[in-house]
Amino acid sequence: MSDRPHPPRVADIGVPSEVLSPVDLQALVPLPPPYDGIDARTIWKELSAERRTEVDASLDGVSALSLARPADGDGERRQLEALAAGLVRLLGRDDNWAFLQPLLLSLEHCTHCQTCADACPLFVGSGGNEVYRPTYRSDVVRRLLARYGPGGNPIRAALAGRVELNWTTLARLAELAYRCTLCRRCMQSCPIGVDNGLIARELRKLLSQELGIAPTDLHAKGSEQQLAVGSSTGMSPAALRDVVEFIDEETSERVGFKVSTPWDREGADVLLLHNAGEFLSWPENPGAFAVIMQQAGISWTLSSELVGYDAVNYGLWYDDAQFARVATRQAEIARRLKVRKVVIGECGHAHKALAVVADRILGPDAVPRESFAPFLAAIVGSGALRLDPARNDFPVTLHDPCNLARGLGIVEAPRRVLRAVAPRFREMTPHGVDNYCCGGGSGFAIMSPNNFAAWRTLVAGRMKFRQVLEAFADEPGPDVPKYLCAPCSNCKGQFRELLRAYGAWERSRLTYGGLVELVVNAMTDVRPGYLEWEPH
Amino acid sequence: MPQFTHGDVTIEVDEHGFMAEPTAWNDEVARALATAEGVTEMTEEHWKIVRYLRDYWVQFGIAPMVRKLCKETGLPLKQVYELFPSGPANGACKVAGLPKPTGCV
Repeated sequence: MSDRPHPPRVADIGVPSEVLSPVDLQALVPLPPPYDGIDARTIWKELSAERRTEVDASLDGVSALSLARPADGDGERRQLEALAAGLVRLLGRDDNWAFLQPLLLSLEHCTHCQTCADACPLFVGSGGNEVYRPTYRSDVVRRLLARYGPGGNPIRAALAGRVELNWTTLARLAELAYRCTLCRRCMQSCPIGVDNGLIARELRKLLSQELGIAPTDLHAKGSEQQLAVGSSTGMSPAALRDVVEFIDEETSERVGFKVSTPWDREGADVLLLHNAGEFLSWPENPGAFAVIMQQAGISWTLSSELVGYDAVNYGLWYDDAQFARVATRQAEIARRLKVRKVVIGECGHAHKALAVVADRILGPDAVPRESFAPFLAAIVGSGALRLDPARNDFPVTLHDPCNLARGLGIVEAPRRVLRAVAPRFREMTPHGVDNYCCGGGSGFAIMSPNNFAAWRTLVAGRMKFRQVLEAFADEPGPDVPKYLCAPCSNCKGQFRELLRAYGAWERSRLTYGGLVELVVNAMTDVRPGYLEWEPH
Repeated sequence: MPQFTHGDVTIEVDEHGFMAEPTAWNDEVARALATAEGVTEMTEEHWKIVRYLRDYWVQFGIAPMVRKLCKETGLPLKQVYELFPSGPANGACKVAGLPKPTGCV
């Protein structure tokens, strides 16, 4: 396995060294043939010596945040003071309106039984890298809280165990907040429900709100851009109209009848809210939604208002204030349109954000929000669409997006749809609420600074990729095309990278896509061949 | 911010090689950036793609959908990859001086 002398202890996080616990490419969980022959070094990216002097990669040799040490001692002291003050606010009833109770319970009641470690795809997939152990990060936070949190003092700190608050600790802990996809499989496995994923998320919040530390792709180019331009993709309302007009044309050609997307229709039954990345990168997904809505006779609309056409809410992953700004705008647009409900498209985190967490701020009169999955299952179950499952005569498996399955308990609905349209559907092991994260969760799929993308592909996505291959073990070769159904934009972005990095189209004829595409591909009204079997 | 230099052209780029100041783009910059993409000579077809991407970005502030690029230029995706080996997003958009795409794309 590893030639590490001993795994790092919690206190070692504050002891300066070049790299505390490097990624060990030899230790990664093995993949089945022919993927076992792929040398991980061909996917890995080592940070250059020069880059290491610019950004802190002393946790594991990876940098998600491009953190640079402040130029002078004053700047450094201010950051450390902000972290200490933030620890107090994190546990303050007035400052933490979102998750205080589950956070306190998780901080106070862990018994270190380590059931969670075996459940964590990062820890297991990495071959047991100690700093990825779910309790490692949480214990650093606990120790800092014992010294600097509410009621913290040297005696409590001595009892909790030592962690020095210095730049090394801060930089490594900040990176460590981004070595967890917030998939919460640890919480699912914990006998008492301790949520290490939540602790990681609250740590991200502290860093963002108190220290201004957040990944560029999530904050400056993410939620900030969404609030300013309308979408984290940079797509303005004018661009959106151009894009969807094109999608309507393309979809009409493909299905053989006219499909048109209604805009800003006041009083429609349904406001459909897509992740805007779908329009640009997976247009067949919003196209398929439009076909289903139209053919099922649903009264629906899209919004062309800023933020009203992008379901994403990256604040869910790192910042409560940004979260609230986006969620209230989305809810306000739905209210003004006087729709009966919002249906959230195939975007996992948007489900948790708008359908669940937003309840904390929206109040009881907000427009109801529903997942596409039960919505679609009801349409399919009603017989409103004429379906011929034989059109989907190829092996299909389902990736349960964590936010749908574990987050909201939406397990059966997508399966009801698949049983109606995919005769060769097979489950992954495990699945449902026990699924593995794709490895791109919590925004990882769109973060690519330094060598983070290589880490995400090799380490974070390892368990999932193995699981996908195993689901098709009876027909592994390239002679049989296979479909990995992943109804979540973030997961699709991660699968695109995984399949490309491992050459899974060439080796296994494995491609990926959403759920609605399979439904439309089975519709007898539609010209055969909605799915295009091309690597993408 | 890293710099990219080729011949007389020196521009600032992000860590993935996309222009930091997309408005500073011109034909000479495009030819210089193309060398980093393994494109030694900008043919008429290269320019057709680059001009379309550039015009779309100026009008809408984003890169066009790949499918739309192919349809409007009449060049199939396979050929786009032949012309720009890193593909439409990482290759052609870079040469056209577009910033790196953002969001869940």
